Amino acid sequence: MVTKENLKDYAAKLMFDMDDEGYERTLKEFETVEKHMELIGKIENIKSVEPMTFPYVIYHANFREDEAKDCLTNEEVLANAKDTKANQVRVPKVVGE
Amino acid sequence: MKTIMDLRKDLDEKKVTSDELFNEAIDKAHKYQEEFNSFVTIMDKKEENESNSLISGIPYALKDNFSTKGILTTASSNILKDYVPVYDSTAYKKLKDAGAVLVGKTVLDELAMGGTGTTGHTGIVRNPWDKNREIGGSSAGSAASVALGIVPFSIGSDTGDSIRKPAAFGGVVGFKPTYGRISRYGLFAFASSLDHVGCFARCVRDAAIVTDILKGQDERDMTSLPDEDIKYTDVIDNDIKGKKLFYIKEITDKTLYKDAGEETLEILDKFKETVEECKKLGFIVEEVSFDEKLLKAIYPSYMTISSSEATSNNSNLTGIPFGPRGEGGSINEIMFDARTKGFSELIKRRFILGSYILQRENQERLFKNAGRLRHLIVDKMNELYKTYDAMILPASGGVAPKFDNEIDRMSDRYLILENHMAIGNFGGFPSITIPNGFVNGMPIGINITGRVFEDALTLNIANKIEEALGYKGLIKEEYDV
Amino acid sequence: MYKVTIGLEVHCEVKTNSKNFSSARNTYSEYPNENIDTTDLGLPGILPVANKEAFKKSLKMALALNCKTPDVVMFDRKNYYYPDLPKGYQITQETKPVGVNGYVMINVNGEDKKILINNIHLEEDTASLDHFGTYSLIDYNRAGVPLLETVTEPCMHSVEEALTFLETLKGIFLYTDVSEARTDRGQMRCDVNISLMEEDAKELGTKVEMKNINSFNNVKLAIEYEIKRQTEILKSGGKVLQETRRFDDEDLKTYPMRSKVDAVDYKYYIEPNIPPIKITDEWIEEIKSEIPMLQFERVEKYMKDYGLSRYDSDIIVKDKNVSDYFEETISLGVNPKSSANFITSIILGYLNKHELSITDFYLTPQMLCDLIKMVDSGKISSKQSKEVFFKCLEENKEPGVVVKELGITQVTDDKTIRDIVVKLLDERPDLIEDHRKGKNTFDYFVGQVMKETRGKANPGITANIIREEMEKR
Repeated sequence: MVTKENLKDYAAKLMFDMDDEGYERTLKEFETVEKHMELIGKIENIKSVEPMTFPYVIYHANFREDEAKDCLTNEEVLANAKDTKANQVRVPKVVGE
Repeated sequence: MKTIMDLRKDLDEKKVTSDELFNEAIDKAHKYQEEFNSFVTIMDKKEENESNSLISGIPYALKDNFSTKGILTTASSNILKDYVPVYDSTAYKKLKDAGAVLVGKTVLDELAMGGTGTTGHTGIVRNPWDKNREIGGSSAGSAASVALGIVPFSIGSDTGDSIRKPAAFGGVVGFKPTYGRISRYGLFAFASSLDHVGCFARCVRDAAIVTDILKGQDERDMTSLPDEDIKYTDVIDNDIKGKKLFYIKEITDKTLYKDAGEETLEILDKFKETVEECKKLGFIVEEVSFDEKLLKAIYPSYMTISSSEATSNNSNLTGIPFGPRGEGGSINEIMFDARTKGFSELIKRRFILGSYILQRENQERLFKNAGRLRHLIVDKMNELYKTYDAMILPASGGVAPKFDNEIDRMSDRYLILENHMAIGNFGGFPSITIPNGFVNGMPIGINITGRVFEDALTLNIANKIEEALGYKGLIKEEYDV
Repeated sequence: MYKVTIGLEVHCEVKTNSKNFSSARNTYSEYPNENIDTTDLGLPGILPVANKEAFKKSLKMALALNCKTPDVVMFDRKNYYYPDLPKGYQITQETKPVGVNGYVMINVNGEDKKILINNIHLEEDTASLDHFGTYSLIDYNRAGVPLLETVTEPCMHSVEEALTFLETLKGIFLYTDVSEARTDRGQMRCDVNISLMEEDAKELGTKVEMKNINSFNNVKLAIEYEIKRQTEILKSGGKVLQETRRFDDEDLKTYPMRSKVDAVDYKYYIEPNIPPIKITDEWIEEIKSEIPMLQFERVEKYMKDYGLSRYDSDIIVKDKNVSDYFEETISLGVNPKSSANFITSIILGYLNKHELSITDFYLTPQMLCDLIKMVDSGKISSKQSKEVFFKCLEENKEPGVVVKELGITQVTDDKTIRDIVVKLLDERPDLIEDHRKGKNTFDYFVGQVMKETRGKANPGITANIIREEMEKR
């Protein structure tokens, strides 16, 4: 069973936190979804059905031809970055990997 | 209230100028802003584009999750509160090229993840018919701006019923065409396999006009459909005699709603009246049975799929290349801070749910089963579409809820009645909500969902029903309920 | 001694005009943040649009590695947070890679070995990070560049095998024109899995993974270091930890990064914005027809059909253009051994010295053919052919022209040579006498003929005539 500590860990992996009540509420939502999803798992022959990823499949899509087109300007690339240096985005030193 | 065609006539006959229309819209937008909060941004300058299209010179509003170059685009979230895009979404570009005049960017539920219009970072959107009620969401401001008569049409996005539900609550037309009919490039993704671009309008004809402008294959969107050699406005008056509609017994049968209030029962009665009206028009309308287990699973499956896709789609919001920069000494700390401050709790809860569903050990049981359920529903629909041309159903089991009385979509009573429109997203079916009169002084809607790719026929059917019902161009100011 | 088992994951950038999922330029750039489209920056609202050429080249590589190819195009998302990944997920292939269950033949010290390929999949490269004192800078130019990852089975058992595989793989990338595979530009990077076990053990030992090694030499050093490190642990009765390690190219050691316990769940799921596209049999056949014969087969052919040594064959096939050049001369009727000799002993040295590619080389296969034929027919000597060769390149002139200009045609005319020989023999009857007594004076006469003809007399013809005339006396 999922615990509040699990949820905190999931949140941390998604790079955020919230207050305790938030986790309590999440836990309740989990129970509801799990309950409903359990019913789905019990639907006859559900396992024999291919999970649907696209609303329909008609193979109409085409690749893009390999042509280079206009790029964003350096100014546009950095327009919304809050910290830049030497035409690049600056962040605290990345260590580890 | 004037439709696009009325305004077109006025413009062409020089009874009014595009500048006047723009200024009038801006004035109204400002006038209603404090009370109803439709907009995140109201334009202060008119964009000067002209074309010979039907919508040239006509004002409109755009949901604030469409990328607009040089114009603030927030998705109603703090994490994008200062984001000014450097590119145009395809929908916006097409409207600009067609000469339509942007009045403002409208409020949505944060990141389009919600159905109430109450979770945007700039506050709640109110229902023009009753300030104490929601307009619904997530395309709340787009619905309200049309319902208030600020603009004749607006653009929204629809992942579960985000256009079609607020359309019903606001007494306007809301249409999302077939998945892929309109490019999603530049629409901030919520759940990519369910996201649709669509519009709000005063009447079906206007929705057809706007969709004719927006549709088309886009080299920026691999899921966009090849162009059709057809204009929807040319076919919406076609004869519909003998066309076959169905409605689902398990959703519309009053006897199944034993504990339901008067309001719901009245809505179901009104629906049946409309069914009779359709028969008079020459439609063949039949009741069909749909496995209730599948219907009850729509919402949980929708939640499962949409939350999962959403958690991935919004992983780009880290405050690094754009968005407010978080505080902290390390790279992880700044991302963590930006996201912790940037998202509301509701959004975080959905993300946690979504990532849990995608975890290796849960995928089979949750994510894949939801995908399987989706498949079963769509298969069943396609089987019905072999016999019928469209499905017709009430858009909601109640009128727009009051703010203090939020509906619980998961409650057994509403599980089906409030969530069935997600079927249209599961299968990418063209789906339209049109007004179906009033209950307790509030507008209600009916929904028509057609065969995939058959947007033309769906609009045709809706137009004919709309003509018969006569609820067209409703706004509170002009309508005495 | 323990038995070493090595598996490799090789990332290689695919050569295309534009990126994998956007139309931004895919070129090496000196300037940061110039080759970027909205999609590469992960801006809200972007959609990936798959590049046909990148996919085609990936299929080509998959087929060259004898892999099974899928029936439809499919991509998946790999979700994780890292500042070099602007979308917060990488588009890759998990469900249906462009190739599975393939193999590649390598030859290690004269022995053939089959290296099994688990899968090969197409994904996108990340942005690059540059580290400074207290901060790092992000350059998104590389983000979205098509990247092909080749994953082998853990089936290599020595440093030599691993390196030969890498060289062979690099060769295939070049032969198929899928990538330039330049390690100096970071176009080819490698993850190494390595485990040690007792010689007779049935199960593999604990796997240690080393990430992102950027040159073949570092792969060698990293493997050697790990073998030493793990051997010491096992010898002292310890247990090797299952973990991911990082190779430090300054002190040439590996350091722990994270253990298996912290393994990341990437929450893969099918990319919903790239709908399935059918891969037709016709397309596969078309691509197959574009794959040239690869090194391994060429070496076999050169040895078997042309009688070349493995050593020479290996040298020739190392560069496809050289190998093609060689084969073209053969198709023009040149003796394979003569051509191979000329290429390995003269041409390659020249190209190397002048840092030239054979494709930019003045001397066409036809010219080399002319040159070698002049030698083989005795028109010029092999020593002269070198002189002609360099003169051709110096003056951009064809061999025939140079030979004429230098006037270095060989004297092959029987009468001219015979007259000289007769005259010489007449002058030195004493030496003919010495010859009969068993002393070697033959070479003296050859030398004198060469002197009289200023080296132009054909040595073979000259020798025959001297022999004949001596017999007569």
